[in-house]
Amino acid sequence: MVVKVLYFGRLKELSGTTEEAVELREGARIEDLFAACAATRPDLRKFRASLVAARNQEFAAWDTQLLAGDEIGFLPPVSGG
Amino acid sequence: MSRSGADRVKIVREAIDTAALARQVRADEDGAVATFDGCVRNHSHGRATLYLEYQAYEAMALAKMNEIAAQVREKFSIDRVAIVHRLGRLEIGETSVFIAVSSAHRAAAFDACRYAIDTLKKTVPIWKKEFFADGAVWADGELPPIPAETPAAKPASN
Repeated sequence: MVVKVLYFGRLKELSGTTEEAVELREGARIEDLFAACAATRPDLRKFRASLVAARNQEFAAWDTQLLAGDEIGFLPPVSGG
Repeated sequence: MSRSGADRVKIVREAIDTAALARQVRADEDGAVATFDGCVRNHSHGRATLYLEYQAYEAMALAKMNEIAAQVREKFSIDRVAIVHRLGRLEIGETSVFIAVSSAHRAAAFDACRYAIDTLKKTVPIWKKEFFADGAVWADGELPPIPAETPAAKPASN
């Protein structure tokens, strides 16, 4: 299945892209998606502890199971206001 | 009496007309309008700031701002609420976020306004980059609360 990944803030700069499509096996979780994204960008891994994931625009736990077509955002600490 | 249809929740790229928003939340039933004007400061951690750049996960940010407006209505006895955030490059002194709340009495307006800005800063996916004469950094932010892991979740099988 394919899901859409969105990067923001420092992650966007680090990954060099705003969004990408990632192919995953059925039943994969957000954690697996992050591992797949970090596989080609080792620098991403060190931000894992300071990220929150969003699935289809709602905050989601890292063990959330993904479905084809999901939109996943990896969000650094927010600093609006 | 609440009129959620009159709420103004927006993300904009141009200057925020704060006076107009404060006027728009105000009705004859109201005895108070509380506002919060978040503006760009000329310093951060002891360094002189040149300007800021804001970016957002726009669809989610707008959804979260609408949730805050709904929570404010649920928790406080208010009339109208406006929450507007600006994105892009902002110069010193410009308004990045503006909140206006009207109510019959002042306590609810103050409390709702405070709740709205505090919650926005913790939960709305917007990011600010600070530009200095000698470089730029992403502002330290707040980590939104992460939903609990699913108790029944098993390790992913490979």
